[in-house]
Amino acid sequence: MAIRVVVVKRPEREISYLRAALKGMAMTFRHLLQKKFTMQYPEQRSTDDWSLSPRWRGTHRMLTDEQGRAKCVACGLCPQICPANCIKLVPGEDEVGHRYPLIYEIDEFRCVFCGYCQEVCPEEAIHVGVHYENAEYERERFVYDLERLCAQTHPVSTLWDPSDPKGE
Amino acid sequence: MADQERVTLAIDGMEITVPKGTTILEAAKQAGVLIPHYCYHPGLPVAGVCRMCLVEIEGVPKLQIGCATPAAEGQTVRVNESEQAKHARQGVLEFLLINHPLDCPICDQAGECELQNYVFQEGRARTRYSPTYPKRFNPVEDFGGDVLYVPNRCILCTRCVRFMDHVAGEHVLNVSERGDRAYIGIHPQRQLDHPWAGNVVDLCPVGSLLSKDFLHKARAWELDHTPSVCTGCSQGCNVNLDTRAHSVVRVRPRPNAEVNKYFMCDHGRQTYRAMNRGDRIEAPLVAEGGALVAADWDHTLARAAQILKGSSGTAVALVSPSASTEALYLLKAVLDGFTMTAAFRVERADGEQPLAGIAGLSLRSERAPNVAGATLLGYEESFDRALEAARQAAVVVVLDEDLDGVTSDMLKGSGNLIYLGRALPDVARSARVVLPVTNVAEEDGSFVNRDGRVQRYLQAKSGPGMARPAWWILSELLAELGRGEPLGSAAEAFEILAAKERAFDGMSYGSLGLKGVRVGNGTAAEVTA
Repeated sequence: MAIRVVVVKRPEREISYLRAALKGMAMTFRHLLQKKFTMQYPEQRSTDDWSLSPRWRGTHRMLTDEQGRAKCVACGLCPQICPANCIKLVPGEDEVGHRYPLIYEIDEFRCVFCGYCQEVCPEEAIHVGVHYENAEYERERFVYDLERLCAQTHPVSTLWDPSDPKGE
Repeated sequence: MADQERVTLAIDGMEITVPKGTTILEAAKQAGVLIPHYCYHPGLPVAGVCRMCLVEIEGVPKLQIGCATPAAEGQTVRVNESEQAKHARQGVLEFLLINHPLDCPICDQAGECELQNYVFQEGRARTRYSPTYPKRFNPVEDFGGDVLYVPNRCILCTRCVRFMDHVAGEHVLNVSERGDRAYIGIHPQRQLDHPWAGNVVDLCPVGSLLSKDFLHKARAWELDHTPSVCTGCSQGCNVNLDTRAHSVVRVRPRPNAEVNKYFMCDHGRQTYRAMNRGDRIEAPLVAEGGALVAADWDHTLARAAQILKGSSGTAVALVSPSASTEALYLLKAVLDGFTMTAAFRVERADGEQPLAGIAGLSLRSERAPNVAGATLLGYEESFDRALEAARQAAVVVVLDEDLDGVTSDMLKGSGNLIYLGRALPDVARSARVVLPVTNVAEEDGSFVNRDGRVQRYLQAKSGPGMARPAWWILSELLAELGRGEPLGSAAEAFEILAAKERAFDGMSYGSLGLKGVRVGNGTAAEVTA
């Protein structure tokens, strides 16, 4: 069976792109004159209308006491509660007999940022941070040790509204 | 039991019949009701100082302490069903918490603390004291030995004092001062270095007496507990191995009324170190061209069988009295057909270290758990004579013996050395086959203690690399020699042993349970205490 090609004659008005193009350009020019919504990241990190939520759960931060030491007492609750098993903790005792973490490491790649570590911490030491931008050149750098966790300065997450802890 | 007078009473609606003289607390335990208590401990004399075990007895105007009140006929006791008793216990807990620091996150006892448990169970949710109320503070004190005293956490139950006075028989602890200033004092010129003093750490219901060795090592909730038998001496105390992430972190006593009651000695507590040793053989080795090279099990076992088949005459077995009864028996079976000299040696310490208050409980001088087992199976304590025999023997098999002090030319005469061991001493490098075995924490097995009690121990962690239990290796070897089937478990190995050896007649892992049975009593059903 031979193939038959039928060329259908349509009116010029229907197949011209000119009408559609002009319609599109009109839309473009209308938006040029309107208020801009794009945030100029990375020059601009937050706007009046938008910023990170105070309940954002990002990479961790260890809070320190007045002497600059980590508040952590190595109780072992955060490695216990951690669903991703990403916290390594070895407890020790300092020269005055205070319990403190000899090793405290968080593997941020394994972390699922659930915030349980912050919630369970009896000393309010470990926190998830209101923070993004974690790029590194090496994978190893994503295992944050105690020194690095203490050196973070970003704000920490408010897991719940203090005035309404049950969210009612 | 039959001639003893018995009384029937009701505890929380549960009717129970107990021998006359049983305390309400013990009777309640049998009825399945735990009356909270601190100062009471079944292994110590009753003091009745903590007032925690208050119960309501119908017809008695005031609440009574369950630990010191004997059960009487027709009594109706209310523990959890009595609001009055609950209220009293809540009051006791509130008093205890006035000065008890809320430092559970840094306390080693957290997770196995009776104060923590009972407060969560029935204590007040909030304190009525102002948050600025200053708590009593005393610095941490080193009691000597392995014991650290944290006076702030002490609830003055006096279990430690009573243990040292009445069980250990060494009066070094007391309650010093009075009222809310009271604390546990130690003799000014002495230390808590009694060889059984470590028990005070287990006895302490709170985190006041701590083991320096275990301090900060693990949290209670991370530990797995495996029933085992202490390898420290021939007493055979029942223990639990507490493991975390494939290492044994501590050894604690497991109650057995027939052997160690509730206690174990400090020497035994240190045996966990040997279980975690890192210098282990991880693969079977065979001699190839003058050197030992790693091989797989099939190849190595075939080589060992070939050596045994190819030789005849005399065989010498040098065994460790720390090897399991199953392995010792199977080794004899493997060497069946040879003229056998089977010997062990045992490390002996000077004298025994008895626990004064418990008859027949002592840290024995022979520091190996299975001396009696080896003797029952026909091994003799004649190591030197066996070494002499090894010079001419066709085959020498070493089982778990470290060969300390043995030089290679003592074993050279034979040329056919088969070494089953955990570590590889230099002497054993002349072996034709080296078979790595697991240690007591890594296998199932049984020991026979000095009183002839056969007791099982269970596997607590995995062995290193390709190491296998000695009973498995020897049963495979027997199969290779065509004299048996490979065995699947230590229980099967024990069944074969029980069928062949008269002393173990009628025993099985099932009948041994976890408390053990005396040899010769295999058929008699053991009443577990």
